[in-house]
Amino acid sequence: MKKSSISRRNFLGKAATVGAAGIVVPSLITGCSRDTKSRKVVPAVSWVDQAPDGPVLKAGLIGCGGRGKGAAVQFIKAGPNLQITALGDIFKDRLEDARATIKKEGQEIADDKCFIGFDAYQKVIDSGIDVVILATPPFFRPEHFSVAVAARKHVFLEKPVCVDPVGARSVMATANKAKELELCVVTGTQRRHQRDYNAAWTKIQEGMIGDIVSAECYWNQNQLWYRDPVKEWSEMEYMIRDWVNWSWLSGDHIVEQHVHNIDVINWFTGSHPVKAVSFGSRQRRKTGDQFDSFSTDFIYEDGMHLHSMCRQINGCANDVSEIVHGSDGWVYTADRNHCEIYDKKGNVKWQYGEYVPDKDGMPTHNVKVGAYNQEHIDLVTAIRNNKPINEAETTAVSTLTAIMGRISAYTGKMVTWDEMLNSDLKLGPKIFALGPVDIPKEVPVPGEGDKPAK
Amino acid sequence: MKRFLLWFIPGLAAGVLLMLGGGKVIERTSTNKYCISCHIHPAADASWKRSVHYETASGYRVACVDCHLPPKGNGYLWAKGKTGLRDLWNYRTKDSASFNWEERRRLETARGYVYESSCIKCHENLFPLKLSKAGEDAHLYYKQAKKTPDLSCINCHLNAGHYIAGYTHGSNKTFGSVSSAPREIYKEAAKVTGFGSFTEQIPNSSVTFRMMAIPGGSYKMGSTDGEPFRKSDEGPVREVEISPFYMAQVEVTWDEYLAFYQQTAAEGRSTDTEGLRSKKSMATDAISGATPPYGQPDQGWGLGQRPAISFTFHAAETYCKWLSSVTGRKYRLPTEAEWEYACRAGTGTPYFFPGDPLKFEKKGIRAKLSKNDTTVINSYVIFSGNSHSRTQTPDMVRPNNFGLKNMSGNIAEFCSDWYQPDAYGQYPSGILKDPKGPETGEEHVVRGGSYLDLAGSVRSAARSFTRSADWLKTDPQIPKSMWWYSDCFNVGFRVICEFDENSGKL
Repeated sequence: MKKSSISRRNFLGKAATVGAAGIVVPSLITGCSRDTKSRKVVPAVSWVDQAPDGPVLKAGLIGCGGRGKGAAVQFIKAGPNLQITALGDIFKDRLEDARATIKKEGQEIADDKCFIGFDAYQKVIDSGIDVVILATPPFFRPEHFSVAVAARKHVFLEKPVCVDPVGARSVMATANKAKELELCVVTGTQRRHQRDYNAAWTKIQEGMIGDIVSAECYWNQNQLWYRDPVKEWSEMEYMIRDWVNWSWLSGDHIVEQHVHNIDVINWFTGSHPVKAVSFGSRQRRKTGDQFDSFSTDFIYEDGMHLHSMCRQINGCANDVSEIVHGSDGWVYTADRNHCEIYDKKGNVKWQYGEYVPDKDGMPTHNVKVGAYNQEHIDLVTAIRNNKPINEAETTAVSTLTAIMGRISAYTGKMVTWDEMLNSDLKLGPKIFALGPVDIPKEVPVPGEGDKPAK
Repeated sequence: MKRFLLWFIPGLAAGVLLMLGGGKVIERTSTNKYCISCHIHPAADASWKRSVHYETASGYRVACVDCHLPPKGNGYLWAKGKTGLRDLWNYRTKDSASFNWEERRRLETARGYVYESSCIKCHENLFPLKLSKAGEDAHLYYKQAKKTPDLSCINCHLNAGHYIAGYTHGSNKTFGSVSSAPREIYKEAAKVTGFGSFTEQIPNSSVTFRMMAIPGGSYKMGSTDGEPFRKSDEGPVREVEISPFYMAQVEVTWDEYLAFYQQTAAEGRSTDTEGLRSKKSMATDAISGATPPYGQPDQGWGLGQRPAISFTFHAAETYCKWLSSVTGRKYRLPTEAEWEYACRAGTGTPYFFPGDPLKFEKKGIRAKLSKNDTTVINSYVIFSGNSHSRTQTPDMVRPNNFGLKNMSGNIAEFCSDWYQPDAYGQYPSGILKDPKGPETGEEHVVRGGSYLDLAGSVRSAARSFTRSADWLKTDPQIPKSMWWYSDCFNVGFRVICEFDENSGKL
């Protein structure tokens, strides 16, 4: 894999060249004085264990990979009278695989509701469904979301919702359109639908940790999967099958995976960073053009720092969790551990008390209804009770936060939120067909080499 | 009790009648017909009938009061009373034929007559499904516009209620495609021998412009304490020596600027930056010019010999680079010292023509009482006293001693220096030779004053500066244009050409 040194401008799009002239675009969450409708973040969570009954809701699945299959099954199980009636993917084998999985749930999808190709999403959306599950690689999400809302479908929008600033703004605009149409949109940042996380959030709101002063979040894990090229595959097919390793498809893992943890901090603080300084590198990745580690200092408008780190390398210290420090203690949240609040001396002040024991009666850290199920229960409940929820803009903000970290790491420069909101950076090729992919395949190298230090 | 009822019942009846009657009165005085009965300037009525608000898709005819009063319950009655009294006063005391309708419908004035809350009342949904990509970006920007309170709906939709011929708010791809310049296409730059004024030809265009030879010399830069309207940034006065150079007789005209625009214009704004990860795309460093403007950069005042406006400092610098490359000469923006030397043209007085700034001032009681005579300044300067709020062509004024026109007034002019209020004091002591200004700064010097300025601000020594953020404030595009200001129509520039005294060449 070739490496290339890159200027910040390349990664920011054309925005940064205006120079000293400050581009004033205030932050999304904090500054919205013109918005008459309240934008206060209230957890859009029903906390029911099953969605209420109602007329059949038909859903179409776009993107039949592992996450898509999972989301489809979780949708079916969210309540009574829920069906998957159409499938779309670029690859037939992936689609058939999903079809078989759904068949095990007792639902058969007719041949004429299975669509293959780059335009499959449009056909699924037009196939007479009520809900669409968008689970392709995130590069395609903004366009799919836009078409789905234009067709007035409720949407399950898997995270991340985009890979670049142009995509983020598209999702924000589509989110506003969906709000006006009172459509329901639940996104795949499922910690917001996780009961112990919500209990911790409530405790923070009640002041148990005092004023928030700083935060950390982590997604350090082993190497993720990859594919080697196969002779019969075109370059496009190879890239899409290997998508978690290509920045234009996944946004890199700080966006694709770590957005979960960054989103939790944005959620807990009710804010988002205004600038980022990040570094990252590629040490052991096998394919693609991504990094395998990032360490980012995110700075919020009030000066709060969030240290975020993520890594996908075998044989290193692993951790997936978030910590928020307050003036009176700190909160620890983790997907696979107990959510707890400590006082300043490290004594446990509070612990989530409703973890369910396993069948042998031994304690676990499982909540009663898992978040992946809960998010679909919440989506169906919102649709059936006609109480629209819309998480798309919030998740776009968190995704753009992660993108800001990525660009800072790729360039080595400080990147600001204003630059993100003003950037015209759009990744990916122009032409979508199973053939060669006309983009540079280079791993970013931050800063300047071959020059003596000043 | 009887006594109470005796008063109460008629009182109640009167109240009810007043309410009913009052309601009727309010209703009667809120019809379009009623409005137009006094607002008799035909332009208002006719342009409304040609607007999209008159003929809407839903069939609803947007009435005068729908935009020119706030929604009911949001200060409607108060505003109605206030405007009613104002209108009555104006109707009685003024001649509507004397109103400059065109001037009044410009954004700055229109803002005072259109209620944002009324726009939002009807246009509740800023994100309709049919909204274009550009519209999405613009409305997202608007929603987030906490820090730009001046951004209102009519910034972009000025023609919604009253039709404006040729108004564009959108990418103006055909802008400048029709030039008023003569047809002969010059193959090469003008041939120049010796140090004398000449007419430059822009190669591959039909455009020419006059360059005046400015002899070298020395002068006193800045103004002294006693000068009327002097500001502290005009001092201390410094002795400056300037080498000979050429300066354009007039501010860069639209004909000249459009030659540049047509030869270099980029294809257009695009969000397509993919591929920029490769160095290759950055390697070609040919001069890439302005993207198409948004809206009407000339404000609809016309092109031709009027000075070009609305473009950024960056665009002006790029123009100079381009002009140098096509002519093979060294064109650039003047330094502030060169500019003032050229403006003064040997004079040490407040203006390059005789006269006292206090005597030219039109504003204020003192000026009115003393019946100031502005004949002299009117013949040299386009300023607020005679400009009709717009740029004018160079044939309206007389030149200074160097043969330069519009050094003061018409449009203010970019200089290459960074602006610092204490720039003159920062220089080392002694006589300054071709000073170039402070080494760093955030904004650039702007000199000469413009058609918007009062007499005091078009003095030879008066200084001003760019306001980059303000001048792009209402550009709704993402990212904001690096080529066109959305909120500045009174600044342009003048080129100078370097002259090498040793070789005697340009």
